[in-house]
Amino acid sequence: MNSHLSQSHLIACHECDQLLYFVPSTDARQTAHCPRCDHAIQAGVSNSLDQVVALCITALIVLVIANYFNFLGFDAKGQERSINLLNASYELYLQGYPVLSVLIFTFIVAIPFLYMSCLLLICLPVKLGIRWRPSLWVGRLCSAMLPWAMSEVFLVGVLVALIKMASLATIIFGVSFWAYILFSILFLRVEHIVDSHRLWGWIDDQSHFSV
Amino acid sequence: MAFLLTRFPKGTAANAGLASCSICGTLSSANEQTCRRCGNQLEFRTKNSVQKTLALVATAIIFYIPANLLPIMTTTLLGNASPATILGGVVIFIEHGSYFIALVIFSASVLIPLAKMAVIIKLCIAVNSSKKLNHRELTSMYRLVEFVGKWSMIDVFVVSILVALVQLSGLMTIQPGIAISAFACVVVLTMVAAHQFDVRLIWDKEGNQ
Repeated sequence: MNSHLSQSHLIACHECDQLLYFVPSTDARQTAHCPRCDHAIQAGVSNSLDQVVALCITALIVLVIANYFNFLGFDAKGQERSINLLNASYELYLQGYPVLSVLIFTFIVAIPFLYMSCLLLICLPVKLGIRWRPSLWVGRLCSAMLPWAMSEVFLVGVLVALIKMASLATIIFGVSFWAYILFSILFLRVEHIVDSHRLWGWIDDQSHFSV
Repeated sequence: MAFLLTRFPKGTAANAGLASCSICGTLSSANEQTCRRCGNQLEFRTKNSVQKTLALVATAIIFYIPANLLPIMTTTLLGNASPATILGGVVIFIEHGSYFIALVIFSASVLIPLAKMAVIIKLCIAVNSSKKLNHRELTSMYRLVEFVGKWSMIDVFVVSILVALVQLSGLMTIQPGIAISAFACVVVLTMVAAHQFDVRLIWDKEGNQ
């Protein structure tokens, strides 16, 4: 208990600016809420660093798989076509929508990939005890990218598209499809664990900054 | 950061002369310009938050008109091209009896963007009104808007998957329509607008009532 209290420090609630003594929570059944506006400040997670490192490595491997194999196949009266994940954005480019194509690629592949990579860049040295400090923009990039990662939204979009298609043709699910579902689940878990307090706490571990 | 600190309610960081960094959450005293932890520009509250938010929502409303009137995609079946709008797509699902999917599409592409823009405007008005505010209700409305933000992209992803998958030359092809770009703009603009709105402005009014 004492070690917990010694970790407490003064913060301001992000949504109502209330000054609070914040104690990092490691109990998975507890979530820290602001007493004034009920903003969820931090979800209690045990071994958050271990979990994030493991999840990030797995998610990056799964994402590479999701980009390598077939995503979906489509068989209409003997005519077949199969696409991979990148086709989902590249076909729009071919049809004369370059900006939209880049936007979709960014939302479903580039940002989730970059976010996980940056997170690993921060967490792995802390975990391994290597004295190497990532530059501050890695942390700032993580915070900026998070709202724009849309893997789970993309999956719901795919499901709706498939329901539209189901009456017209036979749908074949590729390895990438399942890999991308797994990636989304892993990403949601990481999103649940990592908040700005934990993220910057790990960056501090490497830069001897104390709040 | 020359503010009158007493205009902020008691117990808040701003009232104590502390600015919390919007990126890493570190508290710094009012006379510092940048955050000593992450180097971010320090402000008590997002500068011109309401003006920025309203400007972005106004732009989103303008894009919302072509997004609904123009075709979102064109299906060519054996040489017959039939363009479809967002609402047209919903009607097709209802005709096929897929009421649930029709509801999902209708909520994601019509109801949610409209509700989102209305809520953001309501929040901007509430912050500037002299009436007594229901802080908790307004804050939960804001949280809902923030949460729902990216889910409106569903329709854009549906079109991108259909366009990628259905390219059987001669038999059946699907081409994207210009409305899909407009719709993506609406979603991105409302997301940025919600992000620009500083919720703390709602709670700042608590002390003055």
